[in-house]
Amino acid sequence: MDREEFVLVRDMVRSLATRHGVTSADEVKPSTRAAAQQALDELDLAELRRTSPPAATAQECALLAEEHGRRPLTTSLLGTVLLAPELLRLLGASTSPAIPTIAFTRELRFPGRTPTDLVAWDSEGADSALCVTTDGTVSRVELGPSAPSTDLVRTVRAVPSDAPVEVVGQLAADDQLRWQAYALVVVTAELVGAAGSFVEQAVQYARDRRQYGQAIGSFQAVQHLLADATVLVEACTSVTRYAAWCLDNEPPERALAAARVAKAEVNSSALEAVYAGMQVFGGIAQTWEHIAHLYLRKVRLGSTLLATTAELLPALAVPEVTR
Amino acid sequence: MDFELTEDQETIRKSVAGLLRDFDDQYWMEKDQAHEFPTEFYETVAGGGWLGITIPEEYGGHGLGITEASLLLEEVARSGGGMNAASAIHLSIFGMHPVVVHGSEELKRRTLPRIATGDLHVCFGVTEPGAGLDTASITTYARRDGDHYVVNGRKVWISKAMESEKILLLTRTSKADEVTKRTDGMTLFLTDIDRDRIDIRPIPKMGRNAVTSNELFIDDLRIPVEDRVGEEGQGFRYLLDGLNPERMLIAAEALGIGRASLDKAVQYGKERIVFGRPIGMNQAIQFPLADSLARLDAAELVLRKATWLYDNGRPCGREANTAKYLCADAGFTAADRAVQTHGGMGYSEEYAVARYFREARLMRIAPISQEMILNYLGSHTLGLPRSY
Repeated sequence: MDREEFVLVRDMVRSLATRHGVTSADEVKPSTRAAAQQALDELDLAELRRTSPPAATAQECALLAEEHGRRPLTTSLLGTVLLAPELLRLLGASTSPAIPTIAFTRELRFPGRTPTDLVAWDSEGADSALCVTTDGTVSRVELGPSAPSTDLVRTVRAVPSDAPVEVVGQLAADDQLRWQAYALVVVTAELVGAAGSFVEQAVQYARDRRQYGQAIGSFQAVQHLLADATVLVEACTSVTRYAAWCLDNEPPERALAAARVAKAEVNSSALEAVYAGMQVFGGIAQTWEHIAHLYLRKVRLGSTLLATTAELLPALAVPEVTR
Repeated sequence: MDFELTEDQETIRKSVAGLLRDFDDQYWMEKDQAHEFPTEFYETVAGGGWLGITIPEEYGGHGLGITEASLLLEEVARSGGGMNAASAIHLSIFGMHPVVVHGSEELKRRTLPRIATGDLHVCFGVTEPGAGLDTASITTYARRDGDHYVVNGRKVWISKAMESEKILLLTRTSKADEVTKRTDGMTLFLTDIDRDRIDIRPIPKMGRNAVTSNELFIDDLRIPVEDRVGEEGQGFRYLLDGLNPERMLIAAEALGIGRASLDKAVQYGKERIVFGRPIGMNQAIQFPLADSLARLDAAELVLRKATWLYDNGRPCGREANTAKYLCADAGFTAADRAVQTHGGMGYSEEYAVARYFREARLMRIAPISQEMILNYLGSHTLGLPRSY
């Protein structure tokens, strides 16, 4: 995509977020979810990563995921627009009217050897889910009823254990590495957007909120806390953008290593940044009405999504060629 | 619960602080830079009768508990002497515990009164190049030869060996593969450092330079049987008795350095004016120091509980380990913040805090690393599977 084109697409996502981003947990209802998803579908973004070569680079997709994370949105940009179409593209599958999302295990990990014990993740508006097992087989599974999720804005649905499994294709070994790296980068980028936006909101609050006759942001203890959080977000942003760049420019092993580094860093740093922001908001951030817990839920759960830092570090500790 | 120190304990604190007032930062800086043992300090402490604080009265000591010993070492470190001061006397204060409990009457009569007067300097020879905290892996071997043992091997990180007359030496009298339990077959000696048979080489190091840390090369050292502590093969068990008290005393020393560091930082925070006001008025300076005060106070309470348990004959492994962990961290953090508070001057030797910083760092490694403390708490206290 040329720059102008990308800016246009990003602004469309930004505008979607302005119109449909929720400002309180009570706004998350089936009707608002459906309206937001319909607005996303109308943007017709699933084609960005569906064609070969793809219309959008991995870096551009990561930036869109980051943008999507900046506000609590119920829309399935990650599942149905960025992740599932990429799988179909890697398979060279012919186009179809289906709108799949992605299936992970119930523990929100990449599936193992068999497509069992799955949930359809980020499934708003999806009609099926694609699952990649460790041998590279891609299967399509049906969706069951909604499953509860700590992340209140993310739709997750059960996958019935007795539902038919339709094999869609087989990923080559390199493509499987690419897929894992890409999935890690996309979910990580959304967390970066969430943490960055939340810290910015906390900074604005520190400017506005007055105590002892002065803005709380004039106190060094608050100012430095936010400065530290900004540094953390900056580290998250850099490491994730580098991982996205690797997807476009490096061999898949290198890209996967970079994606793992990014996820490991963001798991801890993005969460720290959100904690700092919540401290600045003080008591108001502990209320149901406030937006803070929606960010906290997304980033806290996100830090365990696909891989925790504790799981990633041993993988990064071994020499790259044998990972 | 009673949080008061006894009158005697208060007296120890004040007396030691008073006794050491003349050993100022200049004294310790010079000793540290010259790599010179603080003899004047050592003699002053010995002259005050403090070295025998835990040695039983019948051997010339005071027979006091670990609580009193920890107060003494905390004050010594806090006086500004830090680990240079504490290490100069540390072994005399409680290191002879295995000898007191397991040594023969003759060995005790021969050595303990001299420790109490300060006449006899001792060091502790356990760790080896291939065996740090994994004591059972030592290989220094003592072969019985009539009424002597002949010892060969290497020791490393032996504090004060250069200055010592005797060494409390842990050896193997059965090799590790000859015993059923790896901790069996070790024998402890308190013997002369025969410099014809032991080559002592100081290790250049980051701090605490007034007291050496050494590598020892032992070549056919002959040790008379009378110098053996207790029974052959039981040496490791004898050392175990002293591990918890040792952790508490190190904790006290770390706490003392932390307090000394905080004092310096607070004083500087009040005096140093930048942008027309004392730097201590900035929250970025004030809060870390307030935080260190809270951490030092909390660490001190665990230490007091640990020494109380030990002195009352109660199990104290959890508390002793926790005290060492928290005091080492609180002490180091306070020293680090003292350097930060001093800005550029914190890096100069003139302002003592750089010396405190170098010494406080040591306490997170010695005599046991923070990580091994967590291993202890994880497996012994929480009952999780042993990880190493």
